Amino acid sequence: MMRTKRGWFAFPYMIWMALFVVIPIVIMLVYSLTVPVETAEGEVLRGSLENFTGMTQYLSVFGRSFWLALIATVICLAIGYPVAYLMSREGPGFQRVVMALIMLPMWMNFLLRTYSWMAILENNGLLNQLFQKLGVIALYNRLTGSDIDHFQMIRTSGAVVLGMVYNYLPFMILPIYTVLTKLDRRLIEAAEDLGANASTVFRRVTLPLSVSGVVSGVTMVFVPAVSTFALSRLLGGGTQMMLGDLIENQFLGGAYNPHLGAAISMVMMVIVVICMLVMNHFGDGEGEAVML
Amino acid sequence: MRKNRFGSRTLIGLCFLFLYLPIFLLIFFSFNAGDSSAVWRGFSLQWYAELFHNRLVLESLATTLLVSLLATAISTVAGTFAAIGIYALTKKWRDPVLVVNDLPMMNADIVTGVSLLLLFVAFFHGWGAIANWLNSWQSLIRFPTRLTLGLGTLLIAHVSFNIPYVILNVSPRLRQMDANLVEAAQDLGCTWMQAFFKVILPEIKPGIVSGALIAFTMSVDDFVISYFTAGSSTQTLSMTIYSMTKKRVTPVVNAVSTLIFLAVLILLVINNIREARQVKLAAKRASFEPVREDPRVERFREWMSTPRGRLVRRVTAAVLCAAFLGTVTFLTAFTTSRPVVNVCSWGEYIDEDLITEFEEQTGIRVNYQTAESNEALYSLLSNGGADYDVVVPSDYMISQLIEEGRLEELDYSQIPNFEKIDSRFKNLPYDPENKYTVPYTWGTVGIIYNAALVEDEIDSWSVLYDDKYAGQVLLIDNSRDAFGIALKYLGYSVNTTDPDEIQAAYALVEDAYQRGVFQGKVMDQVFQTMEGGNASFATYYAGDFLSMLENNEDLRFVVPKEGSNWFVDAMCVLKDAPNYDNAMKWINFIASTDSNLRNMDYIWYASPNKEALELYPAWYEEQYGEELDPEIYAIMAAPQEVLDRCEMYVCLPKATRSLYNELWIKLGL
Repeated sequence: MMRTKRGWFAFPYMIWMALFVVIPIVIMLVYSLTVPVETAEGEVLRGSLENFTGMTQYLSVFGRSFWLALIATVICLAIGYPVAYLMSREGPGFQRVVMALIMLPMWMNFLLRTYSWMAILENNGLLNQLFQKLGVIALYNRLTGSDIDHFQMIRTSGAVVLGMVYNYLPFMILPIYTVLTKLDRRLIEAAEDLGANASTVFRRVTLPLSVSGVVSGVTMVFVPAVSTFALSRLLGGGTQMMLGDLIENQFLGGAYNPHLGAAISMVMMVIVVICMLVMNHFGDGEGEAVML
Repeated sequence: MRKNRFGSRTLIGLCFLFLYLPIFLLIFFSFNAGDSSAVWRGFSLQWYAELFHNRLVLESLATTLLVSLLATAISTVAGTFAAIGIYALTKKWRDPVLVVNDLPMMNADIVTGVSLLLLFVAFFHGWGAIANWLNSWQSLIRFPTRLTLGLGTLLIAHVSFNIPYVILNVSPRLRQMDANLVEAAQDLGCTWMQAFFKVILPEIKPGIVSGALIAFTMSVDDFVISYFTAGSSTQTLSMTIYSMTKKRVTPVVNAVSTLIFLAVLILLVINNIREARQVKLAAKRASFEPVREDPRVERFREWMSTPRGRLVRRVTAAVLCAAFLGTVTFLTAFTTSRPVVNVCSWGEYIDEDLITEFEEQTGIRVNYQTAESNEALYSLLSNGGADYDVVVPSDYMISQLIEEGRLEELDYSQIPNFEKIDSRFKNLPYDPENKYTVPYTWGTVGIIYNAALVEDEIDSWSVLYDDKYAGQVLLIDNSRDAFGIALKYLGYSVNTTDPDEIQAAYALVEDAYQRGVFQGKVMDQVFQTMEGGNASFATYYAGDFLSMLENNEDLRFVVPKEGSNWFVDAMCVLKDAPNYDNAMKWINFIASTDSNLRNMDYIWYASPNKEALELYPAWYEEQYGEELDPEIYAIMAAPQEVLDRCEMYVCLPKATRSLYNELWIKLGL
C-alpha cells in the first residue's frame, strides 16, 4: 500500500536533478558541438565537430591522465585492501577508533595537506634535508658516480601520483572495509570446516565477496584522480599537464575556449562512465554498497 | 582467532603514519614563529592571535560553514524524502532515477562544476529579459536584471552533489525495513504522517545521520565544484587556501585548520565513547542479563515522558532549531552586508591595511579577489560569472578589453588624485586618450637568480635555454611573457605578428623544454621556490623580486642586455559595473600619495604617482631609520636607460593571440 502511495515524494527531487544534473550536461553537449564564428553581426555559434576532431593533439594528455590515475588506483588498492582486511579482523573497539582516524584527515583541507607535501618534497625540503643528514645522497653519488645535492622529487609525475594516493587512499579503504565487516563469518567457518586452508578461504570466499567494495573503492579513487588539476599543478609544477588542467585552462585559465573545454569534458565523462560500467558489471550491480 | 596481532597492527600503523605525517607537520608549523612551513624558528602562538584579525580567512571560514550547514540541512531533508519516494516507485521508474542519482558521483568534480557553470551563465544571459518583462507588468517586486554567481549558486551546487549521498545512505535502511510495520501502524489508526514519525524515521535514522555527516564532510572539503560556481564575490576556505598555495600560505590557515581538526577530533572521541557504551549495553541485553542502568538515568527517562518532560523536550528542540537559524542568519550577515566594491587584482599586490582603512573611512566593504594572470582574468570576465567593479590588468590586456568594449569610461572629476600621476604614465598607447585607466604600478621583467647557486655573471636571457643549468630554471607560466622573452632573446620585437618569428620563439622554448632545462612552469609559486633555494633561475617582475629578497638575500635581479618588457598595470572599471561610484572612491583612494607610498613599501612595485615615487627614499628612512639602498630603488623604479632597452606589450591581433594559445598548450603536452 505504501509502496505506490508515496511515489510522488520523488518528483521534486526528479525535477531538481533534471534541472541541475541533466540540463547542465545537455548544455555542455551543445557547447561542445558548436564553435563561435565571427560574422558581420558579431559572434554567432555554428554547429561543428571541430572541437572533437581537433582533440587528437591532446592524446598525450589523455594518456598521461589515465595512466597516472591508473597507477595511483592500483597503489591505493595494493595498500588499501590489506589494511581494510586487517582492520576488519580486529576487535570492535579497535575498529571504531581506526575508522574515526581514517575519516579525520578529510577535515584538514586537502589543498593544505598537499601543500604540506610540497614542503616535504621540495629540493630543499624536509625529505631531502633528511637524506642529506643521513648521507643517503652522498652514498648515491658514490654508487652512481653522479654529483647531485638533492633528489628531484617535486615537479615530477611521481609526486603527482603520491599526492593522489595520499588524498584518495581513505576512499579506497572505507568501502572495502565496510563490505568486509558485513561479510557473513559463517561462510568462512563453513569453508574452513570443509577443509579449506587460510589462503583458499581468502581466494575462494573473502575476495569474491568483497568485489563490490573494491569496485566502489576503485571508482572513488580513479574518478577524482583522473580529473584533478590542483594536484598536478601543486605537486607536478605545471610539467605534468592532466585533463583537469586542460579543462580548467579553457574555462578559467589562460586559454579561454569553453567550447573546447566542454568537448574535452564530454569525452572524459564518456570514457570514465564506460570504465565504471565495465567495473560495475564485475561488481554485480551492488553499486550502493558503501560509504560508512 | 588468538593470533599475534603485532604484524597486522604494524601495517595499519604504517598506513596511518603516511596519512598523518603531513597533518602533524601542518599542526607543528602552526606554532612556528616564522612564516615558513619548512624552517622552524621557535615556538609561538602568534598565528592563532592573528587569526582573529585576518578577515579573508575568517570570512571564507564563515562562508564555508554557512554553505555546508545549509546544504547539509536542505539535502538531508530533501534526500530523505526523495529516498522514500524512490523506494515507493515501481521498478520501471526507479531504475532511471537511480542512474541519474549516480551521475554526480560518477562524474568528475570538474565536469559537474563546469556543467553547472555553463547552466548558470546560460540562465543569467536569459534572465535579463525575463526580469525586465516581469518588472514591466507588476511593480510589487523589483527583480534585479543582472544576476551573478555567488552564495546562491554555490548553495545550489552543494545541494546537488550532496543529495545523492544522502539517498545512497538512506535507501538501504528503507529496504531493510519491514514494510508491514507501516501498514500495521496505519491499521492501528496512525495517519501516514504519524506512521512516518513513529515508525519509518526511527528505522532509517542511522542512515540519515551518516548521510548528513558525509554530506557535511563533502561540503566542507569540496574545492573544485565551489571553484567553478562561487563566482567573484564569494570565497570558501578551500578557495582561499588554493589562491594562497600559489604564492605563500600564511600559517594562519594552519592555525584555523588545527582548530577545526581539534574540534572534530573531540567530537569523534565523544562519539566513540558513547558508541562503546551502547555496544556494551546491547551486549548485556542480548545475554538476558538484567540491564542495570544508573537509577538516575532511569528516573530522568521517566520524567521525560511526563507532560512537563515533553514540554522540556519540545522547548529544547525549538531552542536548537532557533540556534541553527540564528547561526545561519549571523553567518549570512557576516558574509553579505554593507555597500560593496568588488576588486580583482593579482596575488599579494596590495598592502591589506589599505583595504581596512578604506572600509573604515567610507563604510564600503571591499571584496578583494585575485586572478592568476591577465589571461586568467580575461577568462573570468568572458565566462560571464564575475561581477567585478575594478580590475587591474596590464597594458596589453587593457587595450584588448577596450577594443572589445568591456570597459567603462572613468569619471575623472571623482578622482582628483589622478593629477598626481606622472605624465610619463598618462596617455600611453593602450589608452591613448586616457579615458579608461588610472595607473597602479609599473615595472620591468627580468631574470632572478640565486647567487649562492650560480657563479657566472648573468646578463643574458641565454641562461634560460642553456643545458648548463638543466633542471634549475623556472619557466614563467603565461604565454605572453614566456614567448615575449624568447622573442627578445632572438632579437625580435615582443609585439611581432609574424608567425615565423613566433614559431621560432616557440621552437627555442620547446627545445629547452625537451632537453629538461626547465624544472617547472610557475607563476606565483615562484616565491617559495626561489626563496627556498629550490631553483637557480626564474623570470619574474622586479617588484616581486624585491619581496623575495626580503626572505633570501642570495637572490639577484637583472634586466638582460637583449632588452625586456616594461609594463604598466592600471585600474579600470568594467562596463555596467554594479557599484560604479564606490569604484571611483576606491580608485581615488588608491591613487593618493599616501596609499602609493605604503603600497610601494609593501609590494615593492614602483608607483606611477610622481610625488610618491620621489618621496619614497626619504619616507623609507623616516619609517625604518636607515637609508634605502639605491640599488634596490633602481631595481624597483628602473632608470630611463633600462626602460629604453625595454618594450611595452601591445594588444596582439586575434589571429596572433590564437597562435600564442595554441603553441602554449602544445608546449605542455
